[in-house]
Amino acid sequence: MQKNNNYKFLADKWTRRHQYATQEIAKKHKKSFQWLSDNSKQLAVGSLSGLLLLTNPGSSPSAQVDVKVASQQVQKIDPKTFLIADLATAVPDEVRPLSAEEEAKIGELLTKGYGIKASAELEGKRLNRSYGLIGAEQHLARYPGDTMDTHFDGNSEDSSKYYSSGMAPGLGAWGYFTTSRAAMTEEDVMREKYYLAVQTFLSPDFNNRVAEYRDFYKFRKMLVVNPHNGKAVVAVIGDAGPAEWTGKHLGGSPEVMKHLERVDGRARGPVLYFFLDDPDDTIPLGPVEPFQ
Amino acid sequence: MKKHFYTSVVETSSISLAIADMDMSNEERKHLLGLVENNLHHAILDAVLSELSDKDKEEFVKLFAEGEDEKVWKLLRGRVENIEDKIKNTAEALKRELHKDIEDSKNKKHVK
Repeated sequence: MQKNNNYKFLADKWTRRHQYATQEIAKKHKKSFQWLSDNSKQLAVGSLSGLLLLTNPGSSPSAQVDVKVASQQVQKIDPKTFLIADLATAVPDEVRPLSAEEEAKIGELLTKGYGIKASAELEGKRLNRSYGLIGAEQHLARYPGDTMDTHFDGNSEDSSKYYSSGMAPGLGAWGYFTTSRAAMTEEDVMREKYYLAVQTFLSPDFNNRVAEYRDFYKFRKMLVVNPHNGKAVVAVIGDAGPAEWTGKHLGGSPEVMKHLERVDGRARGPVLYFFLDDPDDTIPLGPVEPFQ
Repeated sequence: MKKHFYTSVVETSSISLAIADMDMSNEERKHLLGLVENNLHHAILDAVLSELSDKDKEEFVKLFAEGEDEKVWKLLRGRVENIEDKIKNTAEALKRELHKDIEDSKNKKHVK
């Protein structure tokens, strides 16, 4: 056990250090990498990811399978590393609303990175912003009578992880997820588990388009991404909030927050949140990993 | 260690030996050595880029991505005084931190 812990301690620490360094270098020397990316045709280098792929000498912990290429040993690199580096060049340092150009660029990176079409605007509708501070929300009652004692459906692991978040005193924006425990489906369970609260009421021209927006937002799927570690979740809009005075721009269920690792000492941190174009409802809810 | 333009001025044998002394599988050891290389690589890349003007950075990343080691050195020596020493110092500073991590891992009271 001791030997495995030594390895784990070093692997975790050095992986974190490497991810941080990748992000910092991409941020600090953004212009140079952007230039390289813009001139990729002449240089036969596809993107910043391409540059790192060509120059990065080692591996990451999630990819430990060695492959032989041209008689030289190279190792696979965690695709999150590349995505983090690419996002670092596109996401501003300051947490502010993104420009249309930034949203288009980031939407492209997310679409390419996660293999699902993500955009800040869908069907002519958009939220007040697509990059903001996320805060932790509580669990929502899924049906009349759902309490913290019934909420985890006997799953003791989930209960030990998420019980402490507690149950919100009110219902989500759309009321209960279902009418009774007996009628509850897997979809209802997942919708509550991976939900977001977004500031629907701050959408452009909201007051004149309430009904239209309400129908559009109800359980609308979004991709929410922590740009600093590449952790991402597909979640639905399950509630409206938080209020403007809180300084937060959206909220995440306890399960969303846990996966994103997006909590600082004040229980909030910046995330990207983009609509998913999923007309046939084929994209599953929950954590999602970048493509190889 | 994969060959890069800086390979001739940076040596990592002390880290390799320290990891070799630790009780772990060969796969784990190889993985840690890969992480050492990753971290050194980015530290050196950052140190070099920080010494260059925007225009020279463009030239550097182009030559680096193309693997033109000799041209990289020509560019760096022409633009940055004592560039070899700067690269060595960067690598040494990081190696000291990595050695400290190795010591910490040995002394850490592991909890199951």
